Amino acid sequence: MEMDNFSNLPVRPSELPDVREVAMTPVSPRYRIANLASVVSVFIILCLALTIAHLQPWVMLPQQLHKLFPYAVAVLALIATLLFSYHWFADPLVRYAIRQQDLILQKGLIFRTITCQPILRVQHIEIKRGPLDRLAGLAKLQVFSAGGSAYTFEIPGLSVERAVQLRQFILDHKDLDAR
Amino acid sequence: MEHSVSPSTNPSKQVETGGDWQRLAPISILYFTVGNIKQFAQFLIYVIPALAISSNIFEMHNASYLIAIGTGILATVSFSGLISYFFYLFRIHQQHVEVKSGVLHRRHINLPFWRIQNVKIEQPFYYRPFNFALVVLDTAGSSEEEAKIVAVPLPYALMIRKQVLADNAEAKQEESNAAETIRTRDDSDEQIVNRRSIHDLIVHGITNNRVWILLGAAAPLYDSAATIIYNWLESKGLKLEQLFGEETATWWQLGLYTLTALLIILAVLASLSIGGAVLTFYGFTLSRDKRRYIRRSGLLSKQEVSMKMSRIQLVTAQQDWLDKLLGRVNLYFEQNTSGTQPQTELMSPNKLLIPSVTVDEVHTLVNGPLPHSGIYTVSYQGVSKQFLSYWLGIWVWPIGVLLTGITTYLQLWNEVGVLVIAIVFITMFTLLRWWRWGYATDERYVYVRSGRMGLDFQCLEKYKVQQVSVVQSVFMKRKRVASVKIILASGSVTIPFMFESDAWKLANDLLYAAESSKKSWM
Repeated sequence: MEMDNFSNLPVRPSELPDVREVAMTPVSPRYRIANLASVVSVFIILCLALTIAHLQPWVMLPQQLHKLFPYAVAVLALIATLLFSYHWFADPLVRYAIRQQDLILQKGLIFRTITCQPILRVQHIEIKRGPLDRLAGLAKLQVFSAGGSAYTFEIPGLSVERAVQLRQFILDHKDLDAR
Repeated sequence: MEHSVSPSTNPSKQVETGGDWQRLAPISILYFTVGNIKQFAQFLIYVIPALAISSNIFEMHNASYLIAIGTGILATVSFSGLISYFFYLFRIHQQHVEVKSGVLHRRHINLPFWRIQNVKIEQPFYYRPFNFALVVLDTAGSSEEEAKIVAVPLPYALMIRKQVLADNAEAKQEESNAAETIRTRDDSDEQIVNRRSIHDLIVHGITNNRVWILLGAAAPLYDSAATIIYNWLESKGLKLEQLFGEETATWWQLGLYTLTALLIILAVLASLSIGGAVLTFYGFTLSRDKRRYIRRSGLLSKQEVSMKMSRIQLVTAQQDWLDKLLGRVNLYFEQNTSGTQPQTELMSPNKLLIPSVTVDEVHTLVNGPLPHSGIYTVSYQGVSKQFLSYWLGIWVWPIGVLLTGITTYLQLWNEVGVLVIAIVFITMFTLLRWWRWGYATDERYVYVRSGRMGLDFQCLEKYKVQQVSVVQSVFMKRKRVASVKIILASGSVTIPFMFESDAWKLANDLLYAAESSKKSWM
């Protein structure tokens, strides 16, 4: 056993580092804009499709389907409004923090979840950029542990530079995937 | 084996086959054939209805060429075993297990020893007279990466297991402590820590539904079994056509018949379940080597599963209501499950089950992988009453009242009755759940108690945590409670509605234990 870097000072429970005391950084404001824009555009595309189906003269549709048109638009509008207001309020609450030993993510509107991922349990890291992310110049950082794919730690809405920086920080960590 | 494995003086070289590819023992033809027949039978299950219909149409069933076709198919299936045998090659070379297999779909698996998480040795009953065994090598990764060495002599199989597991341990040990060498290669270290008698297995069969083991195996015989049962019932005076076809029976006769039938069914199910338990767990022993557990059991096909002690993430002591009545506990040692396909719990190498142990035995057994833990002795802190106000006050009662209101308004009195009974039951179960749910911590471990009618205990070592989440709704924040979700490599453990301060203390504590210890979870 190497003794050079070894220390074993007693730690009082009251002196344990506390997740709550960490200053959290919000994700990029573009994240909310991208989400809101995608909700609006999906709504518009669906409405257009419905309207075209309603007004087009080529294919005869049953009369009952035509009667449903205003209701379908209303339901779509309701869902879109709900999603819009959810992203409006919830997206600014997505925040993250990095400590020497772990990553912290806070999210949720009604149920607020704070998740903490120790770096020494990280197995591998991915930067994911979907088409929407690329359009908005954003990236997702996915951190995988042995906890399984259901518990992948994911920070959304990062600027690309920040995502790369974070990945490098994790890769350079000396305890990465401790064996 | 074509090239017999030559034992050399160096123990680490004993299992090495060298660079040459090896063939299996010829008995593996039998294994491949059985496997192919099984696959073919599964295929037939879907085809038979179609065949039956067409045979009715064309009246083929008395055609003599059918026998020829049947023989032909049988011959092909048996021959396919031979082909599989010729297409299967393996070698163990420079700490790597390599397997080439498959006729049309060729696979080449290369598994380094250090990636192997589990070594399972199985002995199908037809291997046992010749002392051959099947070695299944599992990795922590996906189930695609599982390698099977289909037929090797049992002593050689045991040697592979020892070598692979020793190698793993050695690699780890060398990293942390280069000076120390390991000299534990002989079997004398192995100690049996638990046995299950036939009596225990009968109790297990009664308390746990193991019917499906036999039902699954007997699937091809269902039809004839149904006829036999029907005839038998008839001979006992239960004439089904009479019962339901004619309206001769009065209500009490019908009731009595139903009761008799139910009792018979229950008795049959219970004996099937006992049969299943005995079949899988006959001669159950749990032995402990220095660093691992080995489970052996099986009446016809013997199974041997070994699990490294350091890989155990969670110990669960499960008691259903019937277990509780009889004072028995099912004890599970759970290790890494991520990436592997969910397997049936009995055979799973990821979840080692010690069936129906007594409450007294639990303590000793749990203290094996988790020394100085007090699963039954620590005092548990119950979860907050907010658990009840959330589930009952927000979900069960408002929805119940709403539905009851609607049905009352519509004067559907039967439905009202059913609803009221359902609400009462759900309320009772929620109360029980709240009452059972509790948690405790000490220096090293976290304990969670849960259950409704039954009682389950879970115990985990703090530093093995993979990730921690604290969840709090707006409502919970006001009431100063929070839920904690502890993610382990074997799955997650949730403690709902803890007191806020306790929740944060636990989360911080777990993170500190993992991050400061720097110990591996494997």
